[in-house]
Amino acid sequence: MSADGPVVNVHVLFFAKSRELAQTPRSKVDVPSQIVASDLLDQLVTRFDLASIKDNLILAHNESYIENLSDKILFREGDELAVIPPLSGG
Amino acid sequence: MDHVKLVGDPIDISHIHELLLDDGCGASSVFVGTTRDNFQGKKVVSLAYEAYDNMAIKEMNKICSDLRSKWPGLKHIVIHHRLGTVPVREASVVIAASSPHRSEALESVSFAIDQLKTRVPIWKKEIYEGDHEAEWKENKESIRAKQSLSSFNYSACPCQVEESHEVPQKLVQIRVNDAELSKRLECFVNRKRDEINSQNIIDFKHPPADSVPELSDSCARTQSTVIKQEKSNCHIKVRRVNNRSFPQQMELRPNYELELNKLMGSRDGQNEPSVKMRKSLYDSRLLTIESYMGLAPKSEDDIFSRIKTLEDRILLLESISPEYKHFTNIEPSSLEPPAPKKTRKKSYSAHELGMLIEKIKNE
Repeated sequence: MSADGPVVNVHVLFFAKSRELAQTPRSKVDVPSQIVASDLLDQLVTRFDLASIKDNLILAHNESYIENLSDKILFREGDELAVIPPLSGG
Repeated sequence: MDHVKLVGDPIDISHIHELLLDDGCGASSVFVGTTRDNFQGKKVVSLAYEAYDNMAIKEMNKICSDLRSKWPGLKHIVIHHRLGTVPVREASVVIAASSPHRSEALESVSFAIDQLKTRVPIWKKEIYEGDHEAEWKENKESIRAKQSLSSFNYSACPCQVEESHEVPQKLVQIRVNDAELSKRLECFVNRKRDEINSQNIIDFKHPPADSVPELSDSCARTQSTVIKQEKSNCHIKVRRVNNRSFPQQMELRPNYELELNKLMGSRDGQNEPSVKMRKSLYDSRLLTIESYMGLAPKSEDDIFSRIKTLEDRILLLESISPEYKHFTNIEPSSLEPPAPKKTRKKSYSAHELGMLIEKIKNE
């Protein structure tokens, strides 16, 4: 992923519908060490063909939800990022 | 104790009941979620569950601690969720709690299943009989990302601004970012507030009246003065200031409504205003201006002398309040008489004077 400033490599996990669309359960990508959640989501959607479900995705950074898309996220090398479609547990 | 688990095998309800047992508990509540065999007329064969294991365990533990802070009497909490393929009629999730009294156990279990459906990252796919394609389900309670208004992408909407470099000199142009601009605005507002506050203190809180002459330029309607009275510790005396020429003295303003009604009434039944009517029209308008300016015309004054009085009044006001003069867009330089030409008298030395006198004598 191209961006200005320092870049770190993180693990990206896909589940359910997003896993099927991305055609992989996990991947490693370079992301800016500092990025707004909505921009990050846009980049992931473009790169992994998730456009059909992009309005229903929520991200989790190191196993915590990023509930607000305007939040700024700080990444470190090796962090875990999960692309989470609407839940259906229970 | 909290029992949180993701399991691959069928859930044994009697085992869960054992986990709940406690000598001090009079109630245990168990919720069992099972798979349905139909969805929108399609026959469901089985359900496939998958989870983000580590985060699911984390979120389930979070639910346990939430329950304990809401219902401190809870003894044991069990949250087991099955993963992988679950045939119809089998349990996919079991949530159970035990407590000394029933209300805590019942309420907490109901709360916990709602939370699980909202927050725990587990997904199920329904597999249907026949040719129907399998479908990922969505809980209506599922967590969603908040779309903040500020996340609007301004760069997606380019805005063409025609930039002119000819900026009027009295305007100040500042190019800064939003944060700096709002900081400056805040400072400006604060400074104005302070100015008004200090002015109010000057207006309303005079030192004892006998030490200072009356302030004629104050906007204050009333002024309080603290005057120490005989046989009294302290007494507040309120002094009323009558600002005759200030607009906030509403009762001194012309009664526009009355004037307007008069005009409307006199127009009824008369299309062409008579000469007398016209006279009374400008008369009343002149009267309005005069009363606003605080002038009282004598009855024998004709129109020109009244206008002259008004002009004099304006000149007076301009001279005592020159700060308002710049609102009239008149170039002050054009009003000033041209500077007189400087003529320098020629000076003569004693010798030159002597020559001059000699010359005159000879003529």
